[in-house]
Amino acid sequence: MTTEMLPTPTLQPEPPSVEAPRKQGQLPARIASKYGTIIALIALILVFSVLKGNLFLTSGNLVDIASELSIGAIISCGLTVALIADEFDLSIGYVGSFAGVLVTGFMVKSGMPMGVAIIAALAACAAIGLINGLIITKAGVHSFVATLGTGTIVVGLNFLYNSGIAFSIGLPKAFFDLNLHKILGVPLPVYIAVVVVVILWIVVNRTLFGYYAQAIGQNAEAAHLVGVRVDRIRVIAMVVSSACAGIGGILLAAKLGSGQSNAADGYLLNGFAAAFLGSVALRNAEFHIVGTVIGVVTVGVAFNGLAIVGAPTFWQYVVQGGLLIAAVALSTIGRRILGRH
Amino acid sequence: MDSDSKQEGGVGSAVGAPPTQPMPVVHEQAPLVSVSGVTKTFGVVQALRGVDLDIHPGEVHGLIGANGAGKSTLIRVLAGVVSPDEGEVAVDGETTTISDPRDATDLGFQFLHQELNLVPKFDALHNMSLGLVGMGRLGLADRAATFRRARTVAEEVGLDFPLDQPVADLPVAQQWLVALGRSLMRRARLIAFDEPTASLSANETEKLFSIIARMKSDGIAVLYVSHRLEEIETLSDRVTAFRDGGVVARFRPHEITRNTLIEAITGADADATSIAPTVGAAEPGPVVLGARGLVSRPAVMGVSIDLHAGEVTGVAGLVGSGRTELARLLFGADRPEEGEVQLDGRRVRMRSPAEANRLGIGLVPEERRSQALFLDKDATFNVNIAAGHSLRVRSRGNLISMRRARAQARSTAERVDLRPPNVDTIVRKLSGGNQQKLALGRWLLGRRRVLILDEPTRGVDVGARAQIHRMLRALANEGMALLVISSDFEELLSCDRVLVMHLGRIVEELRGASITQPRMLRAAYGQHLPVVSSTATGVTQ
Repeated sequence: MTTEMLPTPTLQPEPPSVEAPRKQGQLPARIASKYGTIIALIALILVFSVLKGNLFLTSGNLVDIASELSIGAIISCGLTVALIADEFDLSIGYVGSFAGVLVTGFMVKSGMPMGVAIIAALAACAAIGLINGLIITKAGVHSFVATLGTGTIVVGLNFLYNSGIAFSIGLPKAFFDLNLHKILGVPLPVYIAVVVVVILWIVVNRTLFGYYAQAIGQNAEAAHLVGVRVDRIRVIAMVVSSACAGIGGILLAAKLGSGQSNAADGYLLNGFAAAFLGSVALRNAEFHIVGTVIGVVTVGVAFNGLAIVGAPTFWQYVVQGGLLIAAVALSTIGRRILGRH
Repeated sequence: MDSDSKQEGGVGSAVGAPPTQPMPVVHEQAPLVSVSGVTKTFGVVQALRGVDLDIHPGEVHGLIGANGAGKSTLIRVLAGVVSPDEGEVAVDGETTTISDPRDATDLGFQFLHQELNLVPKFDALHNMSLGLVGMGRLGLADRAATFRRARTVAEEVGLDFPLDQPVADLPVAQQWLVALGRSLMRRARLIAFDEPTASLSANETEKLFSIIARMKSDGIAVLYVSHRLEEIETLSDRVTAFRDGGVVARFRPHEITRNTLIEAITGADADATSIAPTVGAAEPGPVVLGARGLVSRPAVMGVSIDLHAGEVTGVAGLVGSGRTELARLLFGADRPEEGEVQLDGRRVRMRSPAEANRLGIGLVPEERRSQALFLDKDATFNVNIAAGHSLRVRSRGNLISMRRARAQARSTAERVDLRPPNVDTIVRKLSGGNQQKLALGRWLLGRRRVLILDEPTRGVDVGARAQIHRMLRALANEGMALLVISSDFEELLSCDRVLVMHLGRIVEELRGASITQPRMLRAAYGQHLPVVSSTATGVTQ
């Protein structure tokens, strides 16, 4: 088990010199790899504006898009924090659904006031994140498997708690107002999303936790050897991810007017699509909050535009999947041309 | 002595020897492999300079030399992993290009490194048969024949353990034998062993030797690289010694003795050129970091060490001597099975690098790209990471200040002479020397008392190397305690004292004028004078 290796200088890998002659292809490649997602977004907006500008570019529709996206933005950005620390979180959709069921159940079944119910539901979600983190760090289970497992367990808990029947009757009006209340014509969830996303941006970019999480995502071994408490950071990242899923799930329940067992499940794929789309926006395959927001908006605009154009629903999914693959492929090809693995 | 022995190497080659000199029996046949004038440069390091070497069928050819002398690079050339800049390799008298490991396999060359490349979940038989199972009727794999052969080979090698068990469940030594069996399955004409006995017990080593004897009688050529000179002495029909990438001596059987080998490795005249480097070696300060009886089997077998403030302590040792493992123990990256680490004479529980960092201990690890740097981040990110807490601004709810981060990065860049001094550069784009300066520079922020450096100038250009050495001296003068681990013994000449490790123990302590490369090398090969108990010297201060 010696870590020393053969002492020859060959251990220093020679710099990748392949494809060096393709100099003239570098600028477009660089642009494609960095701005691919944004170009796609702008292209979508242009296309829909030309096709149905009278419907697409109205303030009403833009507000619709924004409110439509707010829940996805919260969940996706939370997931991004986990991804930055190089951990997957496949439980976010189920945790979101669970949060909706819990918060409505706490109010309907247990008669809790709304504020208490929300805090209790969020605490439960954070606890799931804590468990995820501990399984990953202490038991050494890969996050992919760990969160798949806990997510499935959460589905079970969900059914245990509400027996498969959505809590809807007896919810206070204030709960619906979470979704309906408007300030300056913009619904409350948009403000909440903005606040959450800004806080997450600060957490990632202006706190030691974020600094260390980025370091772990880049090179966990180096982070460990420089004194970062890798496990602790990873646990916190999982808690943030779950808690954000919880916030999104609660808002979704308010929007739907009930706590349904699988309401937020779809946000899992949505979140990953947005985060991966965003990871190639402005940076080279590196997860970051701004990128994820761009990803969320891109997917949202595509959905909304296709609906306005009158495309059948299945197209929305085809486009979402296609966008994801195209954006990531563009950046990968771009980077290959630039000579970075 | 050097020039004489060089001549002898040509025997049996095309140049030929004067007719009066009788040819040794072993070399009567034409060489299987003939390497001539092979040169290879990696960046600034000349790994091979004009190496000539003949390998004959049925001989055991020992390769010796210190770390980085060129043996392993030569083997990599034969394995098709490294392509030479100049020179050629002839097989059976025909010039051949080995541009790919597959070419080497096709030529009948097999290589046993310390990394075995077995499929962990496959059992011994499957591992040995991997890639050999031919297509039978109907295009189905015809395993029976291959397995039959694998069983025979297994018997020859003496695999006396269940062959149907995943090799991952086997002890390392048995895995090694499986890998050996795999090589034998391929009708090898040449087998190269690189430090084969490092993971073998005495019993298995004996087994290996008898297998090698059998290979010899089958006409297989064996290349044997080892730091264990007694093995070279016992096994070899011929020995070639390397130093600084070149062949410095060739020996025939009757000339092979431990002393001649060591002399060749260390360079008999090296004593004359040894410099008295330590300028103004001031009285060292008090002990800062110490260790008592550290054990982490099998690499570290009981090491006690004291690092004094203001002193640069070097650790010399060959591959597998336990150098790196010692550094990791002192830094809390690994936990010792026995023994303790002390800071200012008091026992500390160093459970993690985080704790070591908090206590003011830094580590510049061996592999900067994989263990130290965040390659896709800028210099600012890379420099501040060890001193993250210094970035927090109390008045702003402990958020970190990017302005402070950049300021600290700039001052560090200036201190380590980053070129160009641009802290926004993505680290991947920097030269090896600049990268290393950052890996070191990050420990200059905050209050550091101890800095441990593992191979601080590996793959670094000469200029940066000198700068790094000057920096280390400057840090010591400021009162830091430094531990420099290196397989490049030349760079240890400027240390205040050098501890030499051999098989997990400190076997020699050299100070001042007694720090010479030959003495380090001798001790590293276990040929130290039976003197110092290294603990005693440290403690008495």
